[in-house]
Amino acid sequence: MTKSSGPLRLNRRHFLAAGTSLGVATLTAPFVARADEPVLNITGWGGKWGDIMRSDVGPAFEKEFKCKLQTDTALPFLPKLQASSRSVPIYDVLHTNSNEQWAAADMGLVEPKVDPRLVPNLADVYPYAISDKIVGVSIFTSAIGLGMRTDKGFGSITSWKELWDAKYNGIRGGYVIPVNSLGQAFLMMCGTLFGKGQTDLDAAYAALEKLKPIKLVDFTGAMEKLFLSGEVGIGVIHDSGIYRYDGQNQPIDFVTPTEGVLSLEQVLTITPGSKMKELANAYVDYMLRPDVQKKLAETVWYSPANKKVKLDAKYDARLLTTPEKISKLIQVDWKWYNAQKDEIDSRVNRIFRA
Amino acid sequence: MSAAISQTTSQGLSNERAARSLRTAAPWRQGRALYLAVNIAVLIFLLVPIAIVIVFALNPTPFIQFPPVGVSLRWFEKFFASREFMHALGFSLEVAAITTACASVFGASAALAIARGNLPGARLMLAVVLSPLMLPAILTGLALFQTYVLLDVGRPVWGLVAGHTLVTIPYVVRTTLAVLHNFDLRLEEAARNLGASPTRTFFEVTLPLIKPGVLAGAIFAFIVSFDQFPVSLFLVSPGSETLPITLFNYLKFDLDGTIGAASVVSILLAFVVVIALDRTVGLRSYVKL
Repeated sequence: MTKSSGPLRLNRRHFLAAGTSLGVATLTAPFVARADEPVLNITGWGGKWGDIMRSDVGPAFEKEFKCKLQTDTALPFLPKLQASSRSVPIYDVLHTNSNEQWAAADMGLVEPKVDPRLVPNLADVYPYAISDKIVGVSIFTSAIGLGMRTDKGFGSITSWKELWDAKYNGIRGGYVIPVNSLGQAFLMMCGTLFGKGQTDLDAAYAALEKLKPIKLVDFTGAMEKLFLSGEVGIGVIHDSGIYRYDGQNQPIDFVTPTEGVLSLEQVLTITPGSKMKELANAYVDYMLRPDVQKKLAETVWYSPANKKVKLDAKYDARLLTTPEKISKLIQVDWKWYNAQKDEIDSRVNRIFRA
Repeated sequence: MSAAISQTTSQGLSNERAARSLRTAAPWRQGRALYLAVNIAVLIFLLVPIAIVIVFALNPTPFIQFPPVGVSLRWFEKFFASREFMHALGFSLEVAAITTACASVFGASAALAIARGNLPGARLMLAVVLSPLMLPAILTGLALFQTYVLLDVGRPVWGLVAGHTLVTIPYVVRTTLAVLHNFDLRLEEAARNLGASPTRTFFEVTLPLIKPGVLAGAIFAFIVSFDQFPVSLFLVSPGSETLPITLFNYLKFDLDGTIGAASVVSILLAFVVVIALDRTVGLRSYVKL
């Protein structure tokens, strides 16, 4: 005689048992999942970069080097690295923009240079990627220039200085300088445009005063949306922020001013206390491989640092892929900027608060 | 004649009463209207951000546009199709559920000890238990992160749960203490006199009576944990990111309606949790307090 099977009845005991099991599983899952393979702790971006790293580039590296790539995409990276032990750093490879890398290098949190003997692909990068303005190695760069709406009848824009034209009052866009690298780079450009050079802060402040009224955003992604909605007609933006809408029939375009474009580098450095040095160098080398560079460049519209990369025509036409185009690139002296940051923040806050 | 005088007098009195009543009623009505207006204004102030989020989530354009140009579910589709968001949503729910259980147990125990334990320095203990509410949560997160680093345990999931529990315990303590304030000790004494053991007295008398307070605290704990950002910022580990952290990272690169869709889902989940608790453990009993 068998017990008749009726509808499943859940009582409080079942509920508690299920809840406890779920809780234990959640808390212990990382320990169960942890295997013996070496783990390389790195940082990385979200968005499309994160998507392709997770789905393609990352797994290929794991397979080839028989390791686990653990990518932290939750900002802020630098305070976490700062708070962790120097001898057992939370990251083996730090991927950030150049300004943060300089801050990390000044604190001794990352190694200032990458060893070319351990990273053979370093031999093939453009000089800017390992210049004295770079800590570690720049694996990609974006060009910071001007974005514009093409449906507003602005005509052709060729110079940074046109941003100051009174006809753009109310539709001009920029960044909250203390928190945004593009804004910080632009401030240095103001010094170059209207003064003696990047470090001419008085000229830069005077130029910023004249830039008002201006719409300011803290995130670069927000500037893209202001362009798409038409709230901003002309503004500072990186080329990837415009080109990523390619093929979507959006009335926006990127302008490379005659004075040059600022570089927004994607930089990799290795932490001195890393216990995975060999793997960390292998990762840096892997990220500089032409095939990896091509894949990432064509996904996120970043200009590859490796000279040997051959991009498809559409990307090749727009990204910085030749020495001539690279010569337009202006690198920012972030070491100098970081040393003045507090003073600059205080001053620009006063300018834009008014 | 006297009847007429009396009638006139009473009519006069009644008119005077009516006039007085009108005089007092007019300001009362004005006060009531003002009271209503203030309440409506507060409600609008509270609900407008939610309404804007819903409009943003349903608007088909990839940027905030007002008035909206149409109605579309594309951002909800994108949200539910994203493995990253779904994983974060599930993980947030799990962490919030475990946090709620831990905070309820520890918070209720602490409240009982403080209110009934005759402990020396009970007020100081209360201040200590409530202190996470006074400290900026981001500092709590950073301090815990540094502690884990010193202990060389990395960023474990239990560490995240511990951080969330720390900042949610004060809610349970506060609401349980409020119930304990009106607690009739004679009920426990009666149970003991009738032969119930201390354990049985606790489970059959004390716990049912403080349940509304614990439950209210548990709801707060769930919502605070589910929406927790500053503590999680330092404690999430790669691959185990909560929904608010995932949304923040997404926001830096893609500011589209997916954020709105995620917010709408979060709001709905909060409703679902409250309704589920009401149906399963009787939230109404707290409302009657």
